[in-house]
Amino acid sequence: MSYCVNCGVELDRTCSVCPLCNTKVINPNEPVDTVSAKPYPSRTGQIDPVKRGEAAILMGVILATTAIVCGLLNLLLFNGSSWSLYIIGICIVLWIFLLPVLFPSKLPIYIILLLDGIIIDMYFGIIAWLHPGNGWYYAITLPLILFITALVEVYAFFLRHPRSSILSNAVIFVAEVGLLTTTIELLVRHYLDNALKLSWSAVVLTCCIIIDATLITILRRTHLREEVRRRMHI
Amino acid sequence: MEKTNNERKIWYKLDLSANVYPTLQRKNFSNVFRLSVVLKEEINPDLLQRAVDLALPRFPAFKVALRKGVFWRYLEPNNRPGPFVMPDIVNPCMPMHFKANNRYLMRIYYYRNRISLEMFHSLSDGNGALFLLRTITAIYLRLQGHAIPDGNGIMDIHETPHPEEMEDAYIRYASSRVKSPRTQGRAYRIRGHKEPFYTLNIIQGLISVNDLKQTAQKHNASVTEYLNAVLLYALLEKQKADHVFREKPVTLALPVNLRRFFPSVTLRNFITMVYPSIDPRMGEYTFDEIVMQVHHYMRYYINNKFLNADITTNAATQQSLFIRIVPLFLKDFIVRQFYIRVQDCQSSAGLTNLGVVQIPDEMKPFVERFEALMGQPFSTRTNCAIISCGDILSISFASSIIETDVERFFFRKLVQDGIHVKIETNRNMNREEF
Repeated sequence: MSYCVNCGVELDRTCSVCPLCNTKVINPNEPVDTVSAKPYPSRTGQIDPVKRGEAAILMGVILATTAIVCGLLNLLLFNGSSWSLYIIGICIVLWIFLLPVLFPSKLPIYIILLLDGIIIDMYFGIIAWLHPGNGWYYAITLPLILFITALVEVYAFFLRHPRSSILSNAVIFVAEVGLLTTTIELLVRHYLDNALKLSWSAVVLTCCIIIDATLITILRRTHLREEVRRRMHI
Repeated sequence: MEKTNNERKIWYKLDLSANVYPTLQRKNFSNVFRLSVVLKEEINPDLLQRAVDLALPRFPAFKVALRKGVFWRYLEPNNRPGPFVMPDIVNPCMPMHFKANNRYLMRIYYYRNRISLEMFHSLSDGNGALFLLRTITAIYLRLQGHAIPDGNGIMDIHETPHPEEMEDAYIRYASSRVKSPRTQGRAYRIRGHKEPFYTLNIIQGLISVNDLKQTAQKHNASVTEYLNAVLLYALLEKQKADHVFREKPVTLALPVNLRRFFPSVTLRNFITMVYPSIDPRMGEYTFDEIVMQVHHYMRYYINNKFLNADITTNAATQQSLFIRIVPLFLKDFIVRQFYIRVQDCQSSAGLTNLGVVQIPDEMKPFVERFEALMGQPFSTRTNCAIISCGDILSISFASSIIETDVERFFFRKLVQDGIHVKIETNRNMNREEF
């Protein structure tokens, strides 16, 4: 039997370091037993999957029936305009939004977010098709939604990063707010055929840069980071 | 499996404590605890499955599924196949989704000589679950050909379950005319780096009960009081080592088995919490002063009068008409917020002592020891569970943080007091961040 030289506790024969203080076990009389089974198993358990098949079928039937019935109603009875496209579009949007709830952990989060972005774009596309006009869809809505989707994807990536913290998330969020406001102003100016320059968004961008510079400094200075963590803990 | 008409009529209200645990359910957290028995021979999984199948019908309190009503959750008999025994895993007390595992709220594992029972806390407390584990173990040994009698915690599987085993004993005994205050002050909270999902770090210390009794007697305290004091001491040391901006009292959340004070054979939850505490802002406490403080606190508060006032507070909440008519989703939201902002902040660590496990003399030659695990803590802290059988006392710490400071201070203090401690762990120690 080996004892930890720091803690004085007896260690299991299979223990190569003391679990309490991480001191290595060096016992020339009795080397660490690497053959015998350890006190605890090595198999990692997985969470039992929740079967949501019935809920998925129910939601699918409700949404599909709504879409089909409204489509038929529009075709056969109230056929003054293509109003049913709004409802069919909403049903598709709802189905896509419900995918992660009904089929958890099957699809990667980035694909789900991309699908959400595309489907919102599609719905605006339906509205644009029903109300053709001054090109607002291709000039502003489509690029803006695609850009927002990309920003959300980037934010999700940093959020899921193992070393992410509240401060690093805040840096990304503030940077994205700055980029978004700039993009909105440029798209609007482009749509209105104005000169491509920054005005109000430059103020927002400046604020974001200042906040980000402060946050990055706090992040990189350990003492500052600990001080902020201590003072801001909830 | 189809339910008979009679079974359709059966359902059970959740008891007072049981109502709280499902509201705290998150994707990465369930209030699940684990009890294990270590036998002297390797476990045969087929025999164990037969023992579970034979034992479970005797425990209708555990053969249930949790369902949602409009105002409250409730339990209904579960006749689906299972629960099935499984090889043990390195990360026990995993979140338990109510709709998974054929809706059973328990899991049974085996590993070498160990049988482990994991149970969602809404079904029962540790003492209730111990009856099931001991009965399964006794039937398992009987299937191996040993003669194990009923009694001493082993239920007769041929008798009809007693209705009192299903009672909500809180309501029966809540009779105080004053209610004790629900909140304590805020306590020191352990800081640490969270482990990735889903990891539960266990450090278990095995100690001789006689050694411990002698040491506790030297400090004029009982074993529970002494171990409480050691954990408070460890937490005080951890707070010192943290160099906190502002010191706070160090408090333990200590469940008390109410069956000792209010006679009941209920298998469901029948516990309440007391909060022994040391406030370092009042001055430096020596270890003997901590022991004395815990000793007097426990003698003063743990009696049927104070405990009655405590359970009356909880019973009054559940029986209030105003609260009863609030829809479940609102209750969930309010209870969860109350727990996160108040209840969880008022203790630094959890400590449960299940005491000495009684088993028949005929069973003792086959049983090495019992082990208990409080399960994943709700926040970044460590939970400690103590259980003993024969001369072996097991102290298991469960935490979801990388740091082992509290455990180190705790076991080092025991060693300093002359107690021999053997340590076992499930931690993967070859990690760079350790």
